[in-house]
Amino acid sequence: MVTVGPGGEEPFPDLAESSVDAAVLRMMLGTQLRRFREAAGVTPERAGYEIRASRSKISRLENGRVKLKSRDMSDLLTLYGVTDEDVRSKFIALAGQSSTPDWWARYSDVLPTWFEPYLGLEAAAATIRSFETQFVNGLFQTEDYARAVTGLGHKTIPGDQIERRVAVRLQRQDLLRRTDPPRIWSVMDEAVLRRPIGGRAVMRAQFRHLIEAAEVPHVTLQVVPFATGAHAGESGSFTVLRFEERDLPDVVYLEQLTGATYLDQRPDVEHYLEVADELSGAALTPAETSQFIAQIARET
Amino acid sequence: MTSDEALTPDAGPAGKAGRPAFDTSVANQARIYDYLLGGKDNYAADRAAVDAVLKVAPEMGFAARANRAFLGRAVRYLAAEAGIRQFLDIGTGIPTAGNTHQVAQAVAPESRVVYVDYDPIVLAHARALLTSHEAGATEYIDADLRDTGTILSQAGRLLDFTQPVAVTMLMILHVIPDSDGPQALVAQVMDAMPSGSYLAVSHLGSDLLDQEARQGFDNIVRRSAQQQYIGRSRAEMMEFFAGLDLVEPGLVRVEEWNPDPDTAETGRSTLWCALGRKP
Repeated sequence: MVTVGPGGEEPFPDLAESSVDAAVLRMMLGTQLRRFREAAGVTPERAGYEIRASRSKISRLENGRVKLKSRDMSDLLTLYGVTDEDVRSKFIALAGQSSTPDWWARYSDVLPTWFEPYLGLEAAAATIRSFETQFVNGLFQTEDYARAVTGLGHKTIPGDQIERRVAVRLQRQDLLRRTDPPRIWSVMDEAVLRRPIGGRAVMRAQFRHLIEAAEVPHVTLQVVPFATGAHAGESGSFTVLRFEERDLPDVVYLEQLTGATYLDQRPDVEHYLEVADELSGAALTPAETSQFIAQIARET
Repeated sequence: MTSDEALTPDAGPAGKAGRPAFDTSVANQARIYDYLLGGKDNYAADRAAVDAVLKVAPEMGFAARANRAFLGRAVRYLAAEAGIRQFLDIGTGIPTAGNTHQVAQAVAPESRVVYVDYDPIVLAHARALLTSHEAGATEYIDADLRDTGTILSQAGRLLDFTQPVAVTMLMILHVIPDSDGPQALVAQVMDAMPSGSYLAVSHLGSDLLDQEARQGFDNIVRRSAQQQYIGRSRAEMMEFFAGLDLVEPGLVRVEEWNPDPDTAETGRSTLWCALGRKP
C-alpha cells in the first residue's frame, strides 16, 4: 500500500483497474497535486516557475484542464517534497496515462482552445445538467440542425470546416451510447423549440429526435414554457458538469462568442445548481415535456 | 416507462400546510439527509447544520446510512417475501442509490411505486431521476403528509387499493408535531389499504439519545433548520402500528432489523423502526 499526502490516505483507491477516462485522471491528479502544493506551502507562482510556466497554468493543471508531462510531474513532486519513490513512480506513470490523445485531438484545427477542456469534462461527468435558452443542447442535435446552427456563427468559414465542426458535435453524442453513460438532465426554454433553425423539415426531425431522446432512461428533458413568465434562468444558458468523486469539484461552463468561463468555486457552482433546481421545478414534468414537444411539432 | 403526468396543480390548500419554501439559506430535512448520506445535492446551510449536529451527536451519520440500509432490506423483504407489488413511499427524499422503486423492481420489475413529498427540490429531482423500469411504473405526488386526502386520491390513479400496498414513512413522522396528530394521519392512510398491506416506519427515538445530545441537537435544529425534529419513545412509536401485526423482529433500532449477515459497518443509531402487516 502506498501512503501519501497530508491525510496519509492512499491516493486514488478507485483507480485500481485504471480504466478511468484520461480526463478524470487529469482532474484527480490535479486535485492531489493541489493538496501536495498546499501542504508544502508553495505558492502557484513558485510552482509555475519550477516548470517554466505561469501561475494560471498551475491553476489549470490542478483543475485537470491541461495535460501534464511526466517531467513536469517529477519536478513538481520534488518541489513539494514528495520523495517516496513508490508514490513518485505511481504519479509519474499516471501523468503519462492521462495524456493519451483525446478523440478530438484530430479536430484541433476547428476547435477553439477554450472549448477543448469542456470536451474532457463532459466525457468525465457523471451528471450533466444544462439550461438552454437559444439552441437545442448539442448532445441532442440532429446532424441537419447542428449544420444549420454551426453555419450561423461562421459565415466566412469554408464548408469543409463546417462539416468538421458538425462531425465533432455528432461524435460528442457517442457518450449517450456508452455502457456507463452520464445522466443528462437538460431544461430548455420554450424559445429553443420556437426558433425555426434550418427550416420546418429540420425542426420537425429535431422534435422527433428530442422525443426519442427523452425516452432514454438516463436522459431527462424539461421545457420551461413561455406561460411560466419570468424565471430563474434569466442570465442565459449554462451547463453544470458533476462528478461522482466527492473530491472532484463540479464545474459550471458558460460559453460566450469568443471564449468560455469555467467556474469551480463551490459558492458559484451551488448558485447555478440552485437556479437549475428552481428551473426544473418551474418547468413542465418530463412526461408533459414530450407531449408539449409533440404539440409544437404538429404546429410546425 | 409509464406516466408521471401532472399531479401538482390541483393539490388542495390543505396540502400547502407547512410546505418548505425553496430556500437554500436554511437547512432543510431532505438536503441534510442527502449530505449525511454522502450526496452532493446540498448547500452550505445544510452542511453547517449537519457539521454542528455531528459534534453533539456523532452517531447521526451512521443513523442516516443505517436508515437507508433499512429501506433496502424492508423493501426487498416486501417485494421478495411478502409478494408486494405496490408501494406508497411518503417522504421520498432526494434520490440517491437504492431508491424504493429500484429495490422493488430489482425483485419484481412490474412493481408500481408512488412517491410523495412536499419539498420542491425533492420533487424536481424525483421527477427527473426516478425513472421506472418499463415493466412497472412510478409516479410523484406533491403533497404534505398531513394532507392524506390528496395523497390517497392521487395515489389511487396508479395504485389499486383492492390489492395490498406497502406504505413507507421513513424518517418523516418525526417532523410532524403531536398537535398535527401523526398517529391519526397514519391511521387514515392505513384505513384506506386492504388486508395484507404493510406499514414501514423509521423515526428518531427520544429514548435513544442521551439528555445532553438531545438538547444540543434540538438547539441546532431550532436555530438552523426549516423543519423541527420531534423524537418519540418506543411506546409512542408503537402507537403508529395500532391494529397491525409487527413482522419479526418487531420494534428495534434500524440497524437491528433483520441485518444482512455481511454488513460491514456497525454502530448504534438513534432511530426506531418497525414493519407491520394489516391483518
